[in-house]
Amino acid sequence: MSTIKAEGFKGSETLAALAAVFDSYSDEEKKAQIKKTNGIFEIRLKNANGEEGIWTIDLKTTGSVYKGESKSKPNVTILMSDETFQQLATGKLDGQKAFMTGKLKTKGNMMFATKLDGVLKSAKAKAKL
Amino acid sequence: MSLQGLVSGAECAVPFNPLSQVLKHTDGDRSIQQDRIAGPSGSRLQHLPSTTAAPGSERDLALARQFFDNNGQASSSTPNFAIPRHIAPPDMSRFMNAPGASSELMAAWAESQHKQQLHMPGPTLQVPQSSGSAWAGEFGSGMQVVAPGPSVQQSMAQQPNFYQSSYMGSRMYGGIPMNMFSTPMNMTTTAVDKGKGKSREIDFEAAFAEVTQSLGPSEAEMARIVELDDTADLQEAMSGVSLESIVDSQPPVGADFKTVWDQLQNSDMPPPVEDVAKWEAEFNQLMNSQRSSDLDFDYGAMMQGAWESGLGNWGEPALESGTKFNEEGLPVLGEYEFDAGNQHLDPSTSTQSPLEDAKRLLEQNGSLTEAALLLEAAIQRNDLGKGGYEAWILLGEVRSMDEREEQGMRALTEGVRRAEEAGAAGEGMLSLAISFTNESYERASHTMLLRWLKARFPDHPIPAEAWESLTQSSWHSHDRVTEIFINLAREQHSKGVLDPEVQVGLGVLFYTNNEYDRAKDCFEAALSVRPADFMLWNRLGSSLSNGNHPEAALGVYREALNLRPTYTRAIYNVGVACLNIGAHKEAAEHFLTALAMQDSSAGPKSEQLWFTLRRAFQAMDRQDLADKATANTDLDVFRGEGFDY
Repeated sequence: MSTIKAEGFKGSETLAALAAVFDSYSDEEKKAQIKKTNGIFEIRLKNANGEEGIWTIDLKTTGSVYKGESKSKPNVTILMSDETFQQLATGKLDGQKAFMTGKLKTKGNMMFATKLDGVLKSAKAKAKL
Repeated sequence: MSLQGLVSGAECAVPFNPLSQVLKHTDGDRSIQQDRIAGPSGSRLQHLPSTTAAPGSERDLALARQFFDNNGQASSSTPNFAIPRHIAPPDMSRFMNAPGASSELMAAWAESQHKQQLHMPGPTLQVPQSSGSAWAGEFGSGMQVVAPGPSVQQSMAQQPNFYQSSYMGSRMYGGIPMNMFSTPMNMTTTAVDKGKGKSREIDFEAAFAEVTQSLGPSEAEMARIVELDDTADLQEAMSGVSLESIVDSQPPVGADFKTVWDQLQNSDMPPPVEDVAKWEAEFNQLMNSQRSSDLDFDYGAMMQGAWESGLGNWGEPALESGTKFNEEGLPVLGEYEFDAGNQHLDPSTSTQSPLEDAKRLLEQNGSLTEAALLLEAAIQRNDLGKGGYEAWILLGEVRSMDEREEQGMRALTEGVRRAEEAGAAGEGMLSLAISFTNESYERASHTMLLRWLKARFPDHPIPAEAWESLTQSSWHSHDRVTEIFINLAREQHSKGVLDPEVQVGLGVLFYTNNEYDRAKDCFEAALSVRPADFMLWNRLGSSLSNGNHPEAALGVYREALNLRPTYTRAIYNVGVACLNIGAHKEAAEHFLTALAMQDSSAGPKSEQLWFTLRRAFQAMDRQDLADKATANTDLDVFRGEGFDY
C-alpha cells in the first residue's frame, strides 16, 4: 500500500484505501466486482504544485489498484485535479457535475467513466435501502 | 444553410440591405483576427485581440435576424446615438475590479467606452430609424438569454453555456455543426466570458474601421478575408454570399458609411487610437494570464474526444465477460438458485401450504431465512399464491431484507415478469428498483421505476423521450425519470393526496443520485402515512447514514428494529453506521449478530456481511481476525475474542 501513496497527493490516500478494500475482498466478491465494472480506469491527478500522478484501477483482470500507467490499454483515462478527486471520493461532488463543469476530463470511453462513482463509493461502507 | 438563406432572402426584400452589410462586418471581424495571427499587416488597425471567435451559429443568426429585421422596418432617418442599454454598468464595474486592472487600463477603458458609444451605432445609422428606444427595446427582447450588456458579439461569448446544456440535456446536437466543439470554449469564469464579449466589440469597431479604409470596393481584399475563415462549411456558404452581396451593395452603402465615418472623425471626441491600442494590449495580457491559470481546460476538445470515442458507440454491447445488460440497463441475472437441502421440500414434514406458513412466520417476526426457505419450497411445489407471482415477489423481498441481495434480485425479476404476464404489472417493481439501487445498477433502477409509474398511473403522461433516455447513460435517464416523478408528486400534492409509494420512488431516485437530504424528505413523507413500515424506517436511516449523519441514522434504525427485530439488513446498516462513526468494535458485533441470524439455515451466508466484517476488523487493526472472517468460520470463534453479539 505504501507503493500507492504519493507525497503531495491527497487522492493517493483514497486510492490506497480503495486498494485495501480490494485486498480484503474474497475471491468470490472480487469476481463479482470485476464482473460488475469490467474495465480499467487510468487516473491522472494534478496536484496544487502542478505535478501529475498516475494511478490505475484495474477491475477487469486482477481487481487491483496500482501506481503508474495502466499495464494494458485502459477503457478510460480520467484527468482531474487532486482536489476534485477528493471531492468525488467523499461524495461532495458527483461525476456528472464534475464533468459538466469541466473539472473532470476523459479520454477513451466516456460512458465507462460514469462507473467510477460506484467504484469510489465501494471504498466506503454504504448503508442499503 | 440558414446563413445563406438569411442573407439572400433579406436581399430580396430590401434593395440595399443593412443585414448583408453587417453580416459582412461580423465576417470581416473574424477574418481580421485570423489575418493578425497569420501575419500582421501594417495598413490595418493595430493590436487586435488574438482571440478566436466562435463561428456564427444558427442561434446567433436568429438573433441577428430578429434584430435587423426590426430595424429594417423602421422608417425615419434620425440617427440616434444614445443607446444606454449598450453599456451595462455592472458588467463594466466587474471588469474594473478584475485582477491586474491598472488605473491606466481604467482610463483607457473609459475612453474606449466613450468611443464605443459613438461607434457602435454605426450599422444602425445606415438604416433609417424612427426611435432609439424602440431599437433598444427590440434589441433587448431579442437577447433574452444574454442578460447583461446586450450585443450580438456578446451572445457569441455566451454560446458555450448554451450548447453545454443542450448537448447533454437532450441529445439534440445533431443539427449543430461539429466544429462548435472544436473551438476553444473558455467558460470557467464569467469574467473571462464578459471580457471576451468586450473584446469582440472592439473587433467590431476594427471591422468597421476597415470597411471605411477599403471603401473603394476591392474585390480581391474581400475575397482574401473570406479565404481566411477557418470553418470550412461556413466558408463555403459565406464566400459565395458575401462576395456577391458585397459587389452588389457596396457602392451605395459605402457612400453612406463614408459620410457617417467622416462625421465621426470630425466630431468632438476623436477616437484616441493610441489609448485604445494600449488598452487592448493590456487587455490581452490580462486575458492571457487568466487563461493560463485555467488548468489548460479545453471543453471543446474534450467534447470532441468524448464524441469520437465514447458517445458514438454507447450502444455497443458491454464488454464480453461482464454482467450483461439489456438495452434498458436491466442486468441479465440468470435463474434463481433454490437451496438444495431445503427441509421444507419434504412433503412429510411440511404442512399443506408452505406459502401460508411463510406469511404467518413473517407476521410473527420469525427468522427471515426460514421464511425464505418456506417460500422456496412453496414455489417448487407450485404453491405460487395470487396470480402466480405472489410467492416470487415475497421471496425476493424476504431475501433482500435478509441481506441477500443477489438472490432477492433474481426472485424479484422473476416475480415482476410473472406479474406482468398475469396482468398485474407494477407488483414488486418498487422492491426490484430498490434492489437494483443497492447493487449500483442505476439505469436498471430508473427503468423499473418508470415502468412502475406507468403501471400504477397509466394516465400520467410519460414523454417518449424519457423512455428513450433509459437506453442511454444513467445520468441522462436520472434527470428524465426524476422529472416525471416530481410532476406526479406535485399533481398529487395539489389534489391533497400523499401517495407513500410515489414518495418512495422519488426517494430512491434521489438516493441513486447521492441527494440524500432530498431522499430523506421523501421517506419521511412516506412514513407520515405508513408509520409502521419498518422497511421505510430502514430506508430513512440509510439516507441519513449515507448522507453523513450516521448518528441520526442509528435512532431511525432502532425504530425499524423495534418493529421487526429480525430485520437483518437493518442490523447490517447499524453496523455500517457504527463503522462510519468510528465505533469499530460495535460495528463488528452488529455484523456478527447479522451473520448469526442468517445461521439458522444451511444456506450460505451473505458474502457482503463477511466482507464488511473483515473491514471492521481491519479498522481495529486486527488483521488476524480479518483473516479468520471467511465463509467457513464458526462464529463462536469471535465470541471467544470478546465480541458480544
